[in-house]
Amino acid sequence: MTPQADLLPGTLDLLILKAVSLGSLHGYGILLRIEQISRGALNIEQGALYPALFRLVRQGLLKASWGTSDNNRRAKYYELTSAGRKRLREERDGWNRLVAAIGSVLGAEPEEM
Amino acid sequence: MKLLAYLRSLASTLFHRAQMDSELDEEFRAHIQRHADNLERSGLPRSDAERRARIAFGAYEKAKEDCREQRAGFWLETLWRDLRFALRLLRKNPAFSSIAILTLALGIGATTAVFSVVDRVLFRSLPYPQDERLVSFGVKAPFEGIEFMLAPEYVVLRSQPGPFESMTSLTPGGADCDITEQNPVRLHCALVESNFLPTFGIHPLLGRDFTREDDRPKAPRVALLSYGLWRSRFARDPKVAGKVLSLGGKPVEIIGVLPSSFEMPTLTSADILLPQALNESALDRTHPQDILRSFGRLKPSVTISQAAAALQPWFQDSLRFVPPQFRAEVSLRVRSLRDRQIEDSRVGAWVLFASVIAVLLLACTNVANLLLVRLGGRQRELAVRSALGASRVRLVRQTLTESLLLTLFGGLAGCVLACILLRVFISIAPQGIARLQQASLDLRVLAFCFMASLISGVFFGIVPALTKPLPESLVGKTARITPRGLFRHTLVTAQIAGSLILLTGAGLLLRSLWRIQNVSTGLEPQHVITAEISLSEYRYPEVPQQLAFFHELEARLNRIPGVGTVAISNSLPPSGTMQATFFVSIEVPGHPHLAEGTGGMVGFRMVTSKYFEALGIPIVRGRSFTEQDRSSTEHPVILSETLAAKMFSNEDPIGKMLRFSTLGSQGPWRTIVGIAANVKNDGLTARADPEFYIPWKDDPETFVRHSYVTILTSLSPATLLPWARSVISGLDPTVPVEFATMTARIGKLTERPRFNAILVSLFAGFALLLAALGIYGVVSFFVTQRTQEIGVRMALGATPLGISRMVLANMARWTVAGAALGLLGSWFCARLLESLLFEVRVHDPMLLASALLLLLAVALLAAWIPARRAARVDPVVALRYE
Repeated sequence: MTPQADLLPGTLDLLILKAVSLGSLHGYGILLRIEQISRGALNIEQGALYPALFRLVRQGLLKASWGTSDNNRRAKYYELTSAGRKRLREERDGWNRLVAAIGSVLGAEPEEM
Repeated sequence: MKLLAYLRSLASTLFHRAQMDSELDEEFRAHIQRHADNLERSGLPRSDAERRARIAFGAYEKAKEDCREQRAGFWLETLWRDLRFALRLLRKNPAFSSIAILTLALGIGATTAVFSVVDRVLFRSLPYPQDERLVSFGVKAPFEGIEFMLAPEYVVLRSQPGPFESMTSLTPGGADCDITEQNPVRLHCALVESNFLPTFGIHPLLGRDFTREDDRPKAPRVALLSYGLWRSRFARDPKVAGKVLSLGGKPVEIIGVLPSSFEMPTLTSADILLPQALNESALDRTHPQDILRSFGRLKPSVTISQAAAALQPWFQDSLRFVPPQFRAEVSLRVRSLRDRQIEDSRVGAWVLFASVIAVLLLACTNVANLLLVRLGGRQRELAVRSALGASRVRLVRQTLTESLLLTLFGGLAGCVLACILLRVFISIAPQGIARLQQASLDLRVLAFCFMASLISGVFFGIVPALTKPLPESLVGKTARITPRGLFRHTLVTAQIAGSLILLTGAGLLLRSLWRIQNVSTGLEPQHVITAEISLSEYRYPEVPQQLAFFHELEARLNRIPGVGTVAISNSLPPSGTMQATFFVSIEVPGHPHLAEGTGGMVGFRMVTSKYFEALGIPIVRGRSFTEQDRSSTEHPVILSETLAAKMFSNEDPIGKMLRFSTLGSQGPWRTIVGIAANVKNDGLTARADPEFYIPWKDDPETFVRHSYVTILTSLSPATLLPWARSVISGLDPTVPVEFATMTARIGKLTERPRFNAILVSLFAGFALLLAALGIYGVVSFFVTQRTQEIGVRMALGATPLGISRMVLANMARWTVAGAALGLLGSWFCARLLESLLFEVRVHDPMLLASALLLLLAVALLAAWIPARRAARVDPVVALRYE
């Protein structure tokens, strides 16, 4: 099993947006998908997922609607709005820049200083 | 897009709450079920899987709460819930709520009412643009209370560059003027310089202002109407300018109307403004006759002291024309228009303001204390809520909501109280407090009221809410001295100190009032009715006509049955102006001239022979005037005791001669025939000024147009007044008369001190009540908290008396500390009252002691009630208290 890492503050939103961008999902599905993609490396507190979802809905980045799931249970599905798609793009670029910058700092060799 | 999402979320929060909550539950349950399904598939039994799924989900209710918080309008929901909770708490403790609201209402109501008054007097700008640059300036001399300018000096000063952007003048007293068309009316006309309105920054509402041409001595006469006159007499006629008015029988052209906000800088009433038409070419610096009131608008950034310095050269120059012996008593005075207007209301207003702020502070500490006490009772509840996951912020917010709600109620009740108090103030206020009559609860004052309530709400809402509930409280064991206990006691100490200061202040003022009311005026005011009569210039232009009127009036009044004595005089004590001369201008053969100074002013009146009898002034030596003195060529004079002592210290004055001069003209030699007892003339608090009496003469040299009739009668005023009125109107229906009883005239003099004393006593009463409530609250809390301990003590053999003593002793420490502080404060604060006091020592140990005793008695009573409750504690019940 891969060692687990705690989420950096503020990154949960980004992960949710990414998970939902691949297709509309219910809450548990989002959780599963993040675990699946990260191969269980990211530790998400299950209960904490929902306040984040509510926040994203309020901000207009996600749209929620009730539907029926595979085993005929009613479930609330979340999908990305166009604003959400735009936000995901921006956040991802920002994240990549940040990671690259921090990576290059951490990877610096003494002679480059 | 974002906004739309927010609004949709808000709508669902507000209108579909129950649905949202059930959806949340459904979503969470589905989540847990799916997780359990997954776990079951990996081989766990169903029940185990469900349990582990629930654990993995984490705090269910917290997640729900967090989701709710994410919804739009969550704060609204919280607020609503907090409000409902707070209301429920307030309803549950009606005693606490009503005491707190009452306390606040007292504090806020009194503050607002007094602020309304003080605001008018001290702070509100005068109705002139840039009023802070307006000053009154002139010469201060012993014979005139207010600074003035001699007309020729004014003209000299006006021609020099000075500190003023512009300066203007008016003639004091103005002129009586009567509209002599149909419906004759007596009006008051003000005489002003042509640049009067521009200097004060006022523009006529209609028509034009005066020009320099209008102000020339022989110019055609023009007038500006006051708004009130325009409305009442001309029905707001927009074409009034150009019409001709008959004033005192002469035609005057109306050129304009003043705005409704206009008021004279002297605060006198003016129905009509006329140019004063000063004849400048006839003025002579060495023989000044006319005096003016002068006002200036300072140049920007010139201060009052700079202006005074700039006027010094002119003032020194003008002193050349003042007789040398007077020079030392003449000074230059420049002061802001506001200072001139409020004169001696200032100290009173500040005292009022300070005492009311003290009451507000007391009220705030009181409610803080009450809240602290109550929060102490709720420790357990708060600890439980905290343990169940309520956040600190949440608890603080809730406590704040409660105290804000309380202050809001208190503020509303305070506004109602303020309206009532303001009415009371205005109705008991004496005449002459500038602008008091216009004081009203306006928006600004109301805003002050709510700010005061809000600030105090936040203040004492924050203090109790900041303390973290102790986990120990969960068990219910709260009998410990916390730092907050110390804070609470400090508040009580401060309250007692504040109340004591207010009490001594009120005591001083009441004592002073008592002294004033018992001052002997030297008059017998009972059964005396006075009538002030003023004959108009156009109907009685000559002295003989005036004398004939009064002669006939005297005869007719004497014929009324029940009228004992009728006297006429040209002035009347105990207030009001009288003619006066310098002591130095009274000449006595064989007495040396006063070497230096004026010797002060000596007043004199012209009286008929019955004057002394009518007012009950004893003639202590010699004789009174007789009817013969009125027509004879002899010139008798009667001195007051003070004057006799001042002039003839060790000689017998009877039979001596004197003569005096007024306005430069020498009078005849007069024989002293009697000495009359002293009469207070200049208000009750002033010394008895020296004065003398000369007989009312049927002689064309006298000036009697404005005179007083004094009637000593066995009839009641209600019977006599209509009769006397009909007698006067039978003589001439156009003569305005003002009747008053002598008792009322004297009563007027005590109005101002009575007003001050009543107000400060009112506040001292409030303060005492508040202090009592505060002590009661704290001791009650102490008793409730220590019920268990008391029970133990009683079970171990303590007597009820011992318990009461223990409770009281605890309180006594803080009371004594407060009293000591209060005594110290009173010592300092009493000095501020000094100028309001009459014949009362500022630091009166007796007074301090009695104030202290009263306070201690009230404190003891307030502590006694809960202490008695403590003594009645049943040990069995108390030990089960947990």
